[in-house]
Amino acid sequence: MDQNKFERLCRARRMLVELGEEARPLREIAREAGISPFHFIRQFEALFGVTPHQMRIRARLDLAKVLLAAGEKSVTEVCMEVGMSSLGSFSDLFLRRVGVAPSAYQLRARSMIVVPGMLPEKLFPGCLGMMGQLPASAFRNFEEARQA
Amino acid sequence: MRIKLTSIMVEDQTKALKFYTEVLGFQKKHEIPMGEFRWLTVTSPEGPDDLELSLEPNANPSGKSFQEAMFAQGIPMAAFEVADMAKEYARLKGLKVVFKGEPAKMGPVSIAIFSDTCGNLIQLYQKL
Repeated sequence: MDQNKFERLCRARRMLVELGEEARPLREIAREAGISPFHFIRQFEALFGVTPHQMRIRARLDLAKVLLAAGEKSVTEVCMEVGMSSLGSFSDLFLRRVGVAPSAYQLRARSMIVVPGMLPEKLFPGCLGMMGQLPASAFRNFEEARQA
Repeated sequence: MRIKLTSIMVEDQTKALKFYTEVLGFQKKHEIPMGEFRWLTVTSPEGPDDLELSLEPNANPSGKSFQEAMFAQGIPMAAFEVADMAKEYARLKGLKVVFKGEPAKMGPVSIAIFSDTCGNLIQLYQKL
């Protein structure tokens, strides 16, 4: 992929994850990339592993998680803020992808010990921190693991 | 003190495991569920035997911004050594991996950069 196309696709991604009042419809973003819709979707997916549509959904879920965990907004407010107009669709999507309903996620976050102004580490891990919760077997070396 | 574990942030651990094993050819070493995420590591069949790469969930919003900015600037997050660049490049291209340009000679190495489809650019290099 040449540098120019790479940059245009990166710019498209930037716009797709933008959700506030500046959020622009997918069709417009594709047009601005200057690549035919078919190739735009295909090349975007080859580069980022998801289609433009999936990228926007992912951005919505990511933001929703942060807002719900922060606990200052209701589920309805979060739904609006991530750019979805139907509370039902938002809840369904969240449940399907995250595994719990938005309200349950919010409750779970609320029950966690959180440093003010920070996100709960369990939901937003710095992953090497998970090491302390691993079973001892995770630390066997290669030879030991092979023989086991 | 020794280097036994290194990590790379990935957007989706399921997809990452698939890409790092089925496409790149690494082998899964650990997959231990940790709530919403997993402790997930791979090793290379070409060794060293016990050096693990952890595929870390990129859940933290700050991590995401960092990863996205590095990607857009064309900066690789890891580099893997290959014995035969031309062969590896052709093999990965055949598996629909997107490269930023063709392998290029730069001083003592030949390098090529590709997208791991998990939000990172990865550099391959061959010592010349």
